[in-house]
Amino acid sequence: MVEAFAVASGKGGTGKTTSTLALGMALSERYDVTVIDADTGMANLLFHTGLDDADVTLHDLLVEGCDASVDDAVYDRFGMSVVPCGTSLEAFEAADPARLREVVAELAADTDVLLLDSPAALGSKSAVLPVVLADRVVVVLQPTVPSLSDGLKVQEYARSYGTETAGVLFNRVRDDEDTERIAEQAARYFGGTTLASVPESDAVRAARRAGKPLLAHAPTDPAADAFHEAASNLDVRDGDAAGVADRFKSAVLPDRV
Amino acid sequence: MSPDSTLGVPEGDLLHSRVASDAGETLAAALDTELTGYAVFEPQGSLLGGGDDATVVTFEAGVPVLAYDATTDCGGPDALDALDAAGPYRVELFELAAADLQVVHRDETHRVPPARPADRLSTDPELAERTRAAAPDHRRADERSSVEAFLADADRIEELKREARREAQSRAEEWGLTGQLEE
Repeated sequence: MVEAFAVASGKGGTGKTTSTLALGMALSERYDVTVIDADTGMANLLFHTGLDDADVTLHDLLVEGCDASVDDAVYDRFGMSVVPCGTSLEAFEAADPARLREVVAELAADTDVLLLDSPAALGSKSAVLPVVLADRVVVVLQPTVPSLSDGLKVQEYARSYGTETAGVLFNRVRDDEDTERIAEQAARYFGGTTLASVPESDAVRAARRAGKPLLAHAPTDPAADAFHEAASNLDVRDGDAAGVADRFKSAVLPDRV
Repeated sequence: MSPDSTLGVPEGDLLHSRVASDAGETLAAALDTELTGYAVFEPQGSLLGGGDDATVVTFEAGVPVLAYDATTDCGGPDALDALDAAGPYRVELFELAAADLQVVHRDETHRVPPARPADRLSTDPELAERTRAAAPDHRRADERSSVEAFLADADRIEELKREARREAQSRAEEWGLTGQLEE
């Protein structure tokens, strides 16, 4: 295990799942990557990876007394290990968010980079757990006031739990938006580096409809190029595999509240 | 309800009046029909209590232009705060001729970036994107200048960060996560 990143944004619509998978695919050229849909209340990673009909998902692993093993919920897709989450409300209600720690600990032992696609909210324990558990956070932003302000909020929540910002990614950027200047100003308030500025692209929606990550569906699209740039600007730190797994295991999380 | 204000928004033709739980539905309807006119949002509290709180959002070809409190005339992005999580609302949607709003829409103190109402009030994250895409170039400049003004205000951002840390601490206690907090 090298490092676990929470990919977070604070608000919906910034393209967090697209970004998680794109970073994952680009990083999989250098690392063994596992992507987990940690947005247990509004899962959608499965739709982006053609796993709509997955038999076993993260939800199953979060239910007490479930006999599925962690491996059952891991699917090899697009050069990554993908752990989707189900979309049923009943399963979400039955799931115990605190069990995420054990699942993450087990997955961490067998991979280099772990990406947690995190909920676009901070209003519940299950929503905040990915940033509690991760080593660092990647904040996905759009160059708008609500997105920047919610992104700062996520960063401060993460920092409160000792999770620093690895970098910020500007996504869904329109032609006339001068992100260079905005990124320069924003860097005063965000930690880490500016990873890239990803242009808004129709290919993203087409990829989602095709049930594929952007980098698989449209590898030469300008947005795909920008995600490659983001992955190469992310300085993945060498971690001690056993140490990271132990940290997850020793995280003292209470039973469900 | 009239768009009462010293701004001088004239009374329009009522298109519909209904109670809605999501203000985003009204914004989406305005965008999809490229409405020029305005919407009056009256929070449920005033429906029950007989108060006269109401927030007006004006539109040009479906894209929000101004937002203001109909009673106090306070306007701009802050006027939307009164609507945050205040639903359900009584919503009345009115149509006007473009010429009727031309002068009023020159007002800059009540103006909001085009996608700000959707960003703040809609549960559908795509609505903000659709609004941004529909906004003419000169309106997208409103968005850029509001981002630059936001990032230039270091004190406001420090306060936002302090508030987020305070909130994180108190929520951690609520969720039993204090053991995970950084010392």
